[in-house]
Amino acid sequence: MTGTLPGVAPMAVPPGAFLVVATLLFAIGLAGALLKRNALSIFLSIELMLNAVNLLFLTYARMRGDLAGQMIVFFVIAVAAAEAAVGLAIFVALFRVRRTVDVDKIALLKW
Amino acid sequence: MPAASGQLVVFAVASFLALAFALLMVVQRSPVRSVLSLVVTFFALSVLAILLSAPFLAALQIFVYAGAILVLFLFVIMLLNLKEEAADEDDRPVQRTLGLLAALALGGLLAGATLRAPAPGGVPSPRLIPAPDEIPALGRLLFSDYLLAFEALSLLLLVAAVGALLLSKRKFE
Repeated sequence: MTGTLPGVAPMAVPPGAFLVVATLLFAIGLAGALLKRNALSIFLSIELMLNAVNLLFLTYARMRGDLAGQMIVFFVIAVAAAEAAVGLAIFVALFRVRRTVDVDKIALLKW
Repeated sequence: MPAASGQLVVFAVASFLALAFALLMVVQRSPVRSVLSLVVTFFALSVLAILLSAPFLAALQIFVYAGAILVLFLFVIMLLNLKEEAADEDDRPVQRTLGLLAALALGGLLAGATLRAPAPGGVPSPRLIPAPDEIPALGRLLFSDYLLAFEALSLLLLVAAVGALLLSKRKFE
């Protein structure tokens, strides 16, 4: 898809290119979340997926000429910061008890 | 037009860097190197944000993501003294192929869907991005339309900080 709404300043780079980069980044992040065994690496991959979605929001905000998309990205970044603080604290607590953050070995609730 | 082709070059370089270092992050076995390659990806993403006329979020991306969140990751990784993932011991061949297939399928599906999606219709929003001064407009919006969400967010950050402190207190076992 190309082009912006009438009345919105045209973009030098076609917006479809941004959308493809964002979806590829999301797929790479998903691959990391599915393939990694270290809980911290899985968490990092989830951060990458969040960023891919942020890029998508920014692209649509630019296409529509609407600041609401940028606002959502602002909130996503802030919530991601809160999530990282709590998640990393959980991993530290988990490591104290189990001496590992390998998700294959932490399978107490798996079956 | 020279300005437009310049933007194209910047876009090509930044998106190549973002994708290449994201791939490196997934392929990398050492967690520290994963974090460092993700830093490069986030810097490239902030360049893309500038191209999308979102300079405030580009700065936020570097301050909060590369500056705070990833540094927190590095601290925890070094605190836990994580080693590289073992290469050969039970390498989960089934999960590996299935996971790769799922990621490829979803990536293809999403790329196809976003490319086919109709361009945003309707009328342009009343909150049009004003070209030279997006940041004052964003600030006004934050403290008028999104004031409640903003206050809730500050409460959430406080709760998260207290929660992280409580979780990392030495009390389990």
